[in-house]
Amino acid sequence: MGRSRDEMERIERAERAWQEEVVEPRVQRFKIPRCPTRFYTPAHLRDFDFLEKVGFPGQYPFTSGNHPFEAWRAHAEAGARLGVRPDYGVSSAGRYSGYGTAEDYRDYLLAMQARGSRGGPNVAFDLATQCGYDSDSPNALGEVGRVGVAIDSYRDFRVIYEAFTGERDIDKVASNFTINAPCAVILAMLAALAEERGIPLAKLRGTPQNDILKEFIARGTYIYPPRESMRLFRDTLVFCRKQMPSMNVNSIGGYHIREAGATRAQDLAFSMANGIAYLRAGVDAGLEIDDFASKFTFNAFGGSMQVYHEIAFQRAARRMWARILKERFGATDPHAMMIRQPLTAHIGCTSTTLQRPLNNIARSVIGGMAAGMSGGMPSAYPPFDEPLGLGHSLASIQLQIDATRIMIYEAGIADVTDPWAGSYFMESLTDEIEAAAQQDLDRIEGMGGAVAAIENGYMPRAVGQSAYERQKRIENQEDFVVGVNCFTGENELELSLNQTVEVLYDPEQLRSAEERQIAKLADLKRVRSVAAVSRSLATLEQHARDVEANLMPDLIECVKSDATLQEICDVLRGVFGEAEPVKL
Amino acid sequence: MASDRKIRVLVAKPGLDGHDRGARVIAYGLRDAGFEVIYTGLRHSPQQIVRDAIQEDVDAVGLSILSGAHLALTSKVLELLREQGAGDIPVLVGGLIPEGDKDALRRLGVAGVFTAGTPISEVAAFITSHVATA
Repeated sequence: MGRSRDEMERIERAERAWQEEVVEPRVQRFKIPRCPTRFYTPAHLRDFDFLEKVGFPGQYPFTSGNHPFEAWRAHAEAGARLGVRPDYGVSSAGRYSGYGTAEDYRDYLLAMQARGSRGGPNVAFDLATQCGYDSDSPNALGEVGRVGVAIDSYRDFRVIYEAFTGERDIDKVASNFTINAPCAVILAMLAALAEERGIPLAKLRGTPQNDILKEFIARGTYIYPPRESMRLFRDTLVFCRKQMPSMNVNSIGGYHIREAGATRAQDLAFSMANGIAYLRAGVDAGLEIDDFASKFTFNAFGGSMQVYHEIAFQRAARRMWARILKERFGATDPHAMMIRQPLTAHIGCTSTTLQRPLNNIARSVIGGMAAGMSGGMPSAYPPFDEPLGLGHSLASIQLQIDATRIMIYEAGIADVTDPWAGSYFMESLTDEIEAAAQQDLDRIEGMGGAVAAIENGYMPRAVGQSAYERQKRIENQEDFVVGVNCFTGENELELSLNQTVEVLYDPEQLRSAEERQIAKLADLKRVRSVAAVSRSLATLEQHARDVEANLMPDLIECVKSDATLQEICDVLRGVFGEAEPVKL
Repeated sequence: MASDRKIRVLVAKPGLDGHDRGARVIAYGLRDAGFEVIYTGLRHSPQQIVRDAIQEDVDAVGLSILSGAHLALTSKVLELLREQGAGDIPVLVGGLIPEGDKDALRRLGVAGVFTAGTPISEVAAFITSHVATA
């Protein structure tokens, strides 16, 4: 840090003496094999160049943050005085919702709006929809309306948006869609709705997840093989840039990969590899890097309780992505180099425990601290009842939001940007994580990039193996999880919560959703024009065979003709084939 | 079951749920514990699971479900196993199973329900004892 060689040598001499005179005697006194803690000095950062490695918040390489302060921070105090429920960060993650039929979900959204919810929908789709099956498919048994809302056709989609009119019309609120393999179909539905409402496509706002590559590595809702999936990604990317330029293109997920078991370095390497594949798709399609990369977003990075490491991870991720954009892709617009993510560091759902679940509040606050110290809102995430079942209680969401507020307003966590900048320890750790990720990224690039490293099974298998390694460490008590593999004795109080608190979704609606949805689908098939459906699907099939064709206009015609989601996906299955599940 | 044969377990992901961390961890763990493990991969239908269980002559079937579809999918697997005369194969369920549903699964005929935080050794011991007494 601009220190002279002479001064550095003095520090190193002093450190050696300290090891001998202070550390060793203490280690011996306690009869342990080695010192259980570390201490960092300027000698750990010998050739550290602050401007090159860190820089200022809002400037390349964005290590210390995308901005001097985030948008939410601008009016945080005013928001507290007015008592406004913030509509960003943690509460927008909390708004991620969807269940039952489109009618159930519409009514839920209207009820939430009556409670003060603002903004557009952040739609969770059920697994049948995510995998391109209609509700009447045998594959959908038990899944309809479970983890999200069931969408079989444009008519279902339109029903959801009955909750978004007037001041909440689709040109005024942002629509988020957590969907990947059939993302192009859902975007086509949004386009069809805009046309029906007379709203120019250019005014549509929102973010589709549209990150199919990580589905092969984690999450598993793929349909077509990776290469064909990337063709559909390209079609959405080009269509979004040319027709719906205000829409974000995707939300690249690191967090899913970590939750599936990846190590921190794997998470970073695989996410960067996937991001590079999406960037290449845009460049190959003839788009300008600055134009489209600034419309990429990231879902969230993070997912462990190791608070220091998660802070370093955020810093390393921002720097890596910025360098990839600038150095490899020649981006010049700073916006194209930023990792834009709604939630930064967090503990991840796999860090929560079913045992003594109230402890998850403490855990989520630690994740929130990591976020607040690494350029994000200090969001306590997830709600403590995450591992108890499927769906959060309103009580847990209130506790989550309040924990976030306590970190912001009482603890002042977000009053300093990148408070660890220049720390000998944090800068060393940031470098370490970046180097480990870079090594794995180089390996993947050597294989031919993310698509190749999915096809040959490398990334999916590595994640499964890392998950198993972690499990073994827990079972061997090398890693500790309080209340799970330690402190489980009879003297511990097994705290739990009375689970009669209000749940978000009506259990009766959830139970009957499948039957009601299948009946609706049968009605649709009776009333629609079979000829129109056949025509639109035939055109789609014809164009799907032409790799150069962009399928979005055809998909819009298909959804307008009331072709079902599965009918559309089946046509593409016929042309593209289906992905093989990954074995062990 | 011949005593020198390894215990053979089918680890399956029925339904559309793609969260296979648990299934893969259990598969690796049981394999390391000396079991012969067949992992189906994602999206195996109840029909495929029952077919595999019978064809591979497994001693136990483990289903991993985190989507909330556990009651529908498990009862389908059990029903098909019984139809095929293989109702004696013990079926274990793991995943995200709300406390209130555990008894419902047992009433359906599930041998054991295992949720997050269960050590693999516990699952292995459970299978071994069930197969030994079968």
